Amino acid sequence: MISTRFVLKRLLLLVPVLVGVASLVFAVLHLSPGDPALTIAGERASEEFVQQVRESLGLNDPIWVQYGRFLANAAQFEFGESFIIQRNTSVREVLTNKLPVTLELAIYGQLIGIFLGIPLGILSAVKQDSFTDHTTRIGALAGISVPIFWSGPLLILLFAQTLGWLPTSGRISVLYNVEAIRVTGLVTVDTLLAGEWEMFVSAARHMILPASVIGIYSMALISRMMRSSMLEVIRQDYMRTARAKGQGAKITVLKHGFRNAMIPVITVIGIQFGGLLGGAVLTETVFAIGGIGTLLVEAIKVGDYPIVQGTVLTFAFLFTLVNLGVDITYSILDPRIEQ
Amino acid sequence: MSTDTKTTTKSTVDAKERGLVDRFTASPFVSRLLSNRLALAGITIIVAMVLIAIYARLFVDLDVITQSQLGTNPNRAAPSLDFPFGTDGQARDILPRVAYGAWYAMLFGTVTVAASTTLGVSLGIIAAYYSDVTDNVIMRTMDVLLAFPSLLLALALVAIFPDDLGLWRAVAALTLVYTPRFARVVRGAALTVLENEYIDATVALGAADPRVLARHVLPNCLAPITVQSTLNFGLAIIDLAALSFLGFGAEAGTPSWGLMLSNGVSQGLLTGVWWWSFFPGFFLALTVLGFNLLGDGMRDALDPRMREAVD
Repeated sequence: MISTRFVLKRLLLLVPVLVGVASLVFAVLHLSPGDPALTIAGERASEEFVQQVRESLGLNDPIWVQYGRFLANAAQFEFGESFIIQRNTSVREVLTNKLPVTLELAIYGQLIGIFLGIPLGILSAVKQDSFTDHTTRIGALAGISVPIFWSGPLLILLFAQTLGWLPTSGRISVLYNVEAIRVTGLVTVDTLLAGEWEMFVSAARHMILPASVIGIYSMALISRMMRSSMLEVIRQDYMRTARAKGQGAKITVLKHGFRNAMIPVITVIGIQFGGLLGGAVLTETVFAIGGIGTLLVEAIKVGDYPIVQGTVLTFAFLFTLVNLGVDITYSILDPRIEQ
Repeated sequence: MSTDTKTTTKSTVDAKERGLVDRFTASPFVSRLLSNRLALAGITIIVAMVLIAIYARLFVDLDVITQSQLGTNPNRAAPSLDFPFGTDGQARDILPRVAYGAWYAMLFGTVTVAASTTLGVSLGIIAAYYSDVTDNVIMRTMDVLLAFPSLLLALALVAIFPDDLGLWRAVAALTLVYTPRFARVVRGAALTVLENEYIDATVALGAADPRVLARHVLPNCLAPITVQSTLNFGLAIIDLAALSFLGFGAEAGTPSWGLMLSNGVSQGLLTGVWWWSFFPGFFLALTVLGFNLLGDGMRDALDPRMREAVD
């Protein structure tokens, strides 16, 4: 089994990376053109008022004092208040509201990718060089080549505009007030918890297109990795041994092959999840969903620095955590890695 | 396997007597690549796109496709014989705009990939060769850059550069985003090369560091670098378009695929004007597919395990 020492060691290794990440974000924002004090005070504010704002933000302090303060605050996940997008609301609150939206989308997309990608990959490997294999491979390559901001609009045009089967954008019909029943922030979960069946159906229908767009991409990556990993495993001696002792082909593949072939696939799923978080920016823009992806784009455009800092660091933090999770799962599946 | 080795040796011997072209096709890597139908399809797509790009650059008048053509052309016309790809909200013909988009994609994609390859390869080789402190400083910095989802890091970095740089700021941001990948791949490859005795011999003969790195280490790391560059090319073209799509790349009016798609989504989607999104996106996806097909083929041709699987 996995040792606590290994997990602790990995957690300690995260610290310098996260300090580096925070430093990079600090540097980027200080290098960006534009004066935060001027942004808050407004273009027509008097010079005195701008100075006052600058003083209250601590922008007159030496740069290393600002840097130290930033690191200390970042460690407590404290980024101050939003300048523009939601004035006088703490960044933490804004993020707590929006993060579940992005996570929900990423989770459903990833689930579609996993449940379709893994069987397709196995099928493709077991029937190597058959028609099924070629179709799956070309389909998967096409899947990773099609940008989300093209497949998204096409699906909307077909299923929402032309056929009228599914809604075009948003998370739930405007008729419903999700905020009233908010528990987890995940709209499909909250509606079920509240026992509002009609609201749940509306939320689920809104989820289908954006989750599928993400799912297609993720399925393509996962099935490719599953195929090549399974191909390698199939040629191993233990597979032949299992067959030789009289075990059926299907059981051998599923029992001995699957577990071993999953190891590299887990990595791809992890890395892919990070990619999904980045890709959320695009999916949310196409489907007009207000998650932290669209929040970030908006914040960069209007110069809402606290939001930019908070969002970018949250993304990087999640990404790093997922990677850590991948490493740990990895060592559970293959105990040799720990040594 | 043994027959394969024999034929390879034989073809290498023969190759010496033939011309350059024959020698090129006789290389086991190239012949394996050319016998891969998918890789050939990739090469065909890329060549076609390059030709479209060059044609557009030479013969399409940039002013005509950038400025509003209201009054001259029908507005928002659906695809027809006169306008095969239709016209957009300012009555501009979409066909030449999409063709010119190929030029932007190829030009900016090439610069991005070339810049990040150069930067990443240099850093990776230096890290491998000097090890210790240099290695740690370089690779830990790369780790920090790799801790961000790539598109997100690009978004954050784009903000540093002034607006008037247009697509160039997207190029600059993406160069920094891709550099760590090359650095990692190359460092790994270079470490293996440095194990070889011929490196010790070169150093013992008194060769200076730059010479060892450029003449002996770099050429032996070329294979992984080429594969990584090709696969990254497709990614660069998507990411450049994505940044334009989000409003952090090409300036308004520029015929870049990302910007045309952004227009298609923000204005064309609800009105059902499908051709604004369809054509630029189709060419974008096709180009990326071309590079992915080629990159995949190259990787298979280089990977000895894949060879065994085929045999």
